[in-house]
Amino acid sequence: MRSLSFVQRVCLDFAGTLFPHAICLGDADNDSLNELVVGDTSGKLYIYKNDESKPWITRTCVGMLTCVGVGDICNKGKNLVVAVGAEGWLHLFDIAAAKAESSSQLEATFWDEQRPCFTQHIPANTKVMLISDIDGDGRSELVVGYTDRVVRAFRWEEPPDTTDLSGGQLVLLKKWLLEGQVDSLSVNPGPDGLPELMVSQPGCGYAILLCSWTQEGTAGHGEDSSAASAGEGPSRDVVLHLTTGRIHNKNVSTHLIGSISRGSKADDTKGGLFALCTLDGTLKLMDSSEQLLWSMQVDHQLFALQKLDVTGDGREEVVACAWDGQTYIIDHNRMVVRFQFDENVNAFCAGQYACKGGRNNPCLVYLSFNHKIYIYWQVELERMEPSSLQKVLEESAEYTALLCKLKIDPSDTGAVRNLIGDLLYRHSEGDQTL
Amino acid sequence: MLPVVDTLCPFVEDSFSRFPSQSNIYGLCQAGDQELLAATLKGKVVSFRYQDVQHKIRPVAKEVQFTYIPVDAEIVSIDAFNKCPPNRGLVVGITFIKDSGDKATPFLNIYCDYEPGSEFNLESIAQSCLNLELQFTPFQLYHTELQHGEGLKETVFLLSGHDQRIHLYKENASLHQFEEQPVERFFPELKDLPSNVLWLDVLSIDSGRRLTAYGCQNGCVGLALVDQKETEILQSWRLQQDSPVSTVLLFPLKLAHYDSNTSGVCVCVYLPCWCMGVCTILVVECRPVCLADSDQCDAVLCAILIDLDFDGQPEVLLGTYGQDLLCYKFQQSIGETEGQFQLLWRRSFRSPLLSIIYLDLTGDGLKELAVLTIKGLHILQHSLISTADLVLQRLANRVTNKGHNSSNVKWTDPRMCTSLNSLELM
Repeated sequence: MRSLSFVQRVCLDFAGTLFPHAICLGDADNDSLNELVVGDTSGKLYIYKNDESKPWITRTCVGMLTCVGVGDICNKGKNLVVAVGAEGWLHLFDIAAAKAESSSQLEATFWDEQRPCFTQHIPANTKVMLISDIDGDGRSELVVGYTDRVVRAFRWEEPPDTTDLSGGQLVLLKKWLLEGQVDSLSVNPGPDGLPELMVSQPGCGYAILLCSWTQEGTAGHGEDSSAASAGEGPSRDVVLHLTTGRIHNKNVSTHLIGSISRGSKADDTKGGLFALCTLDGTLKLMDSSEQLLWSMQVDHQLFALQKLDVTGDGREEVVACAWDGQTYIIDHNRMVVRFQFDENVNAFCAGQYACKGGRNNPCLVYLSFNHKIYIYWQVELERMEPSSLQKVLEESAEYTALLCKLKIDPSDTGAVRNLIGDLLYRHSEGDQTL
Repeated sequence: MLPVVDTLCPFVEDSFSRFPSQSNIYGLCQAGDQELLAATLKGKVVSFRYQDVQHKIRPVAKEVQFTYIPVDAEIVSIDAFNKCPPNRGLVVGITFIKDSGDKATPFLNIYCDYEPGSEFNLESIAQSCLNLELQFTPFQLYHTELQHGEGLKETVFLLSGHDQRIHLYKENASLHQFEEQPVERFFPELKDLPSNVLWLDVLSIDSGRRLTAYGCQNGCVGLALVDQKETEILQSWRLQQDSPVSTVLLFPLKLAHYDSNTSGVCVCVYLPCWCMGVCTILVVECRPVCLADSDQCDAVLCAILIDLDFDGQPEVLLGTYGQDLLCYKFQQSIGETEGQFQLLWRRSFRSPLLSIIYLDLTGDGLKELAVLTIKGLHILQHSLISTADLVLQRLANRVTNKGHNSSNVKWTDPRMCTSLNSLELM
């Protein structure tokens, strides 16, 4: 297995303790560059920007923050920061507006701008959160997973004439009850291209949650799906899927990530790719028609699953991280690159972050147990697979043509090797004698 | 801190193999054309190479079980060479200290298989061992070629010790074994050393002469020009530095302001702490030059000279204890300004650098840089996309020039050729 050691990293200060889902990367201030948002158990929300080790913005929330997110939750074309506490307090922050204000006004408003621009109480015991379009209407919904195996979906609604957020509120769309603990929420395009809400279930399983409000008009479709799952799920709107394979413990904690980009538009019609990982080291990549692309078993306890395009080819790789810092980056062809982070990991995320040079780069973010966040900002790879110069050259038609002119057989490795060595290491010496 | 340099390191990491225990500056050697051997402190030797499986290459690091290395042994140094033709075979030498509690005993094990067909098979070489007990604590294990009159060559081991001497081990072909021979018979310049030698380097130059350089624990750097046939010292120099000298590297360097007929040979001296000198010698001249800003970084533990931008001019790579790889390029003198080494780029690692080798591991004609650090072995590869572009461009030039001058690929200066050949052997 190929392994690498990434070196370029920045170290951020973080004094608190946090829940594993209270960390995310996103464009909090709508400047097209991504920030790192972290929430701690005392209700403090920190936003880090570029390579500054101190938080760029700090906010105070009510309760223990269990999940944070960045997204256009109100469908106003503007990202807001969402922070949800275990006690059910949901806070929205408009960072871009606060930034504009702070540059024009003085310290008098300092305490004022610390306050969230919107607060609402939703049912308590939150665990995970997702801001995404789950029903295919083009508008974002908020989905929250709970420790009591419940998932709720909310939608932002407000009177048509309001200008600020105070008039609107989050309205409950639906509640699903699952059999097992929900460790991740994700959205994946189904075989028909419409988004499907997926949640992970223990033992490397997953469930698709049906958005019944969209089926009110087309009742037939809902009947079919619920009939198929009638024997399995407690609810008719939950379609449970158990993946086959070597699962030692059917209660093992499982994570899931969907909408893994295939890299080309044509492939997207085949439905989305999603990955699963378990704490006992199983990793799987599947597509929405339940076809297994690959599966592998590792000796490390995987507790976080992300997606990240490290090669820059538009195809997203699966990134899984274990408690002991072992990180796996796996492409669609099951090529693996390993990286060992030298400490135990408290929380992990991967994504685009504008660390250096004012542009988004693929980054790996590790939260250690000694009050530091490490961001590896140079993890881009030329390719996933080890390769040699000959293999790269063979892809070029010009190369074969030139070899033919020199009467060298491209398959004669020894001769080609001598020729390349000669061209690279003795060429200019030859030029001088000309 | 060193000044910020804009140029980026042209290498990308292709693989990293973590070792169970740390190594030291004598712990990496090339074994054969496409394989590396790395020795770790706790008696383990790891071989690294690229395996070709179904037209895909995979990095493979696996432990080689060298026989007669006890479990409580700590490996000091490792070296390997291919025998000079007409003899065939790979020879591996490992020095270690067996610490059985009351008394530590040093040993030199030489592994070599005489069975036809398995002379290059590492697994079987590792099973045929010659075990020599040493009377001194070993340091660097080095090999170099001896010239026996009419073109006959033989490779011998040179082992420096804490007894202020260098010991020579030469093969006795009739007995199929290696034995110690007096070093002054072949290397008069290595007699009466001023201190323990930490690093030795030998370079063959024109008309049967060689340059020998060594760096000592007391800061002394010795340099000698020797006639190989007569075994006679033609000229010798000594420089005194004020801290131990961890690495000495000899390499040819062409200087524009000297007559091109004189082969400019440069001696590099790396001091472990804050300063590094380069002395240029042109057979008569010995003059230290300091590399700009090299006093700003930590101890330099390893060095190598390679042409990493393929322009025919070598660059100096230095690996420091401060976890940095530094690249210096020689800028020829223009007008009044003297030629000098300038810092091109630096690359950081996660642990101190111990040893560097530049070799073709993937077997494609393009060499890779192997860097041994305290934590393991890093393989750095040139960017394949940009190197492929360069190869295509030069290939096209070669095709167009082919009609005019077919000899433009050959070395025209036989002296440069010899010196570079011996460099490759190091």
